Amino acid sequence: MSAGFTARPLLGRRSATVLAALGLGVIAWFQLGLTLDDLLPDPARGATARAFATAALHPAFDYQGDFVPAAAPPFWRGVAAAALRTVVFAAGGMFLAVIGGLVLGMLASASWWRTAGAGPLGGRLRPVGLVAARVTIAGLRSVHELLWAVLFLAALGVSPAAGAIAIAIPYAGTLAKVFSEQVDEVPRDASRAMGALGAGGTLQFTCGLLPRAARQMASFTFYQFECSVRAAAVLGFFGFPTLGQKIAASFANGNYGEVWSYLYALIALVLTIEMWSARLRSGRSVR
Amino acid sequence: MSDARDAELDRMRRQRPRDRFARATALLLFAFGAGAWLSGALRPGELFGSRQQGNLRRFLFEELPPAPLRGDGASWSDWFGGLLGGRGIEAALAGANTTFWIAALAIVLAATGGALAAPFAARTLARPDPYGRADAEHPSRARTLTAAATALRFLLVLARAMPEYVLAYLGLAVFGFTVWPLVFALALHNCGILGRLGAETIENLDPTPMRQLRLAGASRAQMLAASGLPAATPNYLLYVFYRFETCVREATVLGLLGVASLGYWIEEARIRAYYDELVLLILLAMVLVLLAEVASTAARAWIRRSG
Repeated sequence: MSAGFTARPLLGRRSATVLAALGLGVIAWFQLGLTLDDLLPDPARGATARAFATAALHPAFDYQGDFVPAAAPPFWRGVAAAALRTVVFAAGGMFLAVIGGLVLGMLASASWWRTAGAGPLGGRLRPVGLVAARVTIAGLRSVHELLWAVLFLAALGVSPAAGAIAIAIPYAGTLAKVFSEQVDEVPRDASRAMGALGAGGTLQFTCGLLPRAARQMASFTFYQFECSVRAAAVLGFFGFPTLGQKIAASFANGNYGEVWSYLYALIALVLTIEMWSARLRSGRSVR
Repeated sequence: MSDARDAELDRMRRQRPRDRFARATALLLFAFGAGAWLSGALRPGELFGSRQQGNLRRFLFEELPPAPLRGDGASWSDWFGGLLGGRGIEAALAGANTTFWIAALAIVLAATGGALAAPFAARTLARPDPYGRADAEHPSRARTLTAAATALRFLLVLARAMPEYVLAYLGLAVFGFTVWPLVFALALHNCGILGRLGAETIENLDPTPMRQLRLAGASRAQMLAASGLPAATPNYLLYVFYRFETCVREATVLGLLGVASLGYWIEEARIRAYYDELVLLILLAMVLVLLAEVASTAARAWIRRSG
C-alpha cells in the first residue's frame, strides 16, 4: 500500500548541495582573510583607476606614446597584426592538440579497444593501454598551459613554437578526454550490425562509431579553439608576441586608450568565434 | 545486379546530409593550423637551434636537479629547509590552501550570479507567451523581459569573452594587491559561462510540467519556483562542479601576477631562477588540480545518482 510513497527528507540532496556551497563561500571568506574595505579601489590608485575607466569610451586610434619609431606601422595595423598572431598561436597549438587528442582519445576509449584495437595483441595490451592512456591524459591536463609556458621559458627561452606547444599539451589532454567519452557514449547498434556481417574491428570503429560522434567532437573542438585564442592572448604577458604583450606594454606605459583598443580587438575576436560556433551548432547549412 | 546496387549506394552517398559551413570551417582551421607551422610563423626550427639546445642542456643537467644532486655538498635537509627563500614547504602549502579557497569563493559567486541570470536569459521564458499562455500582466512587461533577456545574454557573452588572467591583471592595477581581483576575475568569467549554461539547461527542460502549470494559471515566477528551477538544478550543479575544477587550475595561475596563491611562489622561483623549486611547485599545483578533479568527479557522480 505504501509502495511508491517515501517520507520526504527534511533536507533534499539538492538543497543540501546548495547550502553546502554557500557554507564553503563563508569559510573561504575567513580563510582568505577578506575585508570589505579592500573592495574599495585603493586610494593610491584612484587616479589610475579613473583614467583607465574613462579611457574605455575613448579607445586609441593612433599611438599614444611620445616616442613612436618612424618605422612603426599605422596603429590599426599593429592591432590587427597582434590579433592575427594571437590566432596563429591558437591555431598552431590546436593543430598539434587535435592530433594528440585523436590518438590519445582512441587509446583511452573502451570502444576503440573493443573494435579496432581488438586482436590477439590488443587483448593483452588492453588493460595496461587503457589505464596508461587515461593517466597520461590526466597528467597532461593537470598542468595549466601558462605553467607549461613558464617551464618552457625556463628551459628554452622565448620561442614562439614553445608557446604554441605550451597550449597544445593540456589541450591535447582535454580533447582526448572528451573525445574518448563522446565515442564511448555513441549507440553501438551500427558497429554491432557491421560486426555481425563480418566487418573487421577497424571498419567497425571508423564507419560504425566515429561518424556518429563526429559532430559532437567537431563542436567541442571548436569550443576549445575559442579557449585557445584566449590562452594565446594571455601568453603575451609572458613575452610572446600576441595581444597580451601589447596590453601589458601599453598599460605599463599608461597609454590606457591603447589598452582598450587591444581589449576591444580581443573581445571582437572572441565574439566572432562565438557567433561562428553558434552558426555551426545550429546546423542551418546542412543540406 | 551489382551495378544497380552500386548505383543505389552512389545515389545515397550523394544525398547524405552535408554541412558545407562545417566543412569549410574545418578546412579553414586545418589550413590555418598547418600554415602556422609550415609557413614558419611559429619558427619551429628555433627549438632545435644551438642556443635553445644549450639552454635545454643547462636546464636539464644543471638547473633542474636539486642542489644535493649537483654534488656541491649540500644536504637534503638544508635544501628542504631553504625552499621558498627559507620559508620552507609550509609556505607553498599555505599558497595551495589560498588557491583552493580563491577558487571556492569564486565558484560560489559565479554560481549564484549564473543562477540569478539564467531564468532571465532563457529564450523559452523571454517571450510574451512562455509555455503556451500570454501574461495576464500588461503586455509591455513581456516586451521589457524580452529586451532584458537579449541585453543579459550579450552581457554574459562579454563576461566570458575576457580571459581571467587579463581581468585579474587589470583588477590588481585598480584595486591593489589583494585577493579580491583574483576572486572577481574568476567569478566574472565563470558567471558568463554558468549563466549561459544555466539558460540552456532551462531551455532544454521537458516543457510538459511547466506548460501544465502555466495553463492552470501560474505566473512566470510560480511556474519557475514549482517546476523549472528544481528540475534544472541537478544539471546546473553538474556544470558548477565542472567549472570548479577549472577554477582551481586558473586560481593557481593567477598568482603569477603577484598575489599569494601557489602561482606567486612559482613566479618567485622563476625570477630567482631556482628551477628545481619551480618544478617542485608545478608538481604541487598538479596534485592540487588532480585533487580538485577527483572531488568534482565524485560530486558530479553523486548528483547524477540522486538526480
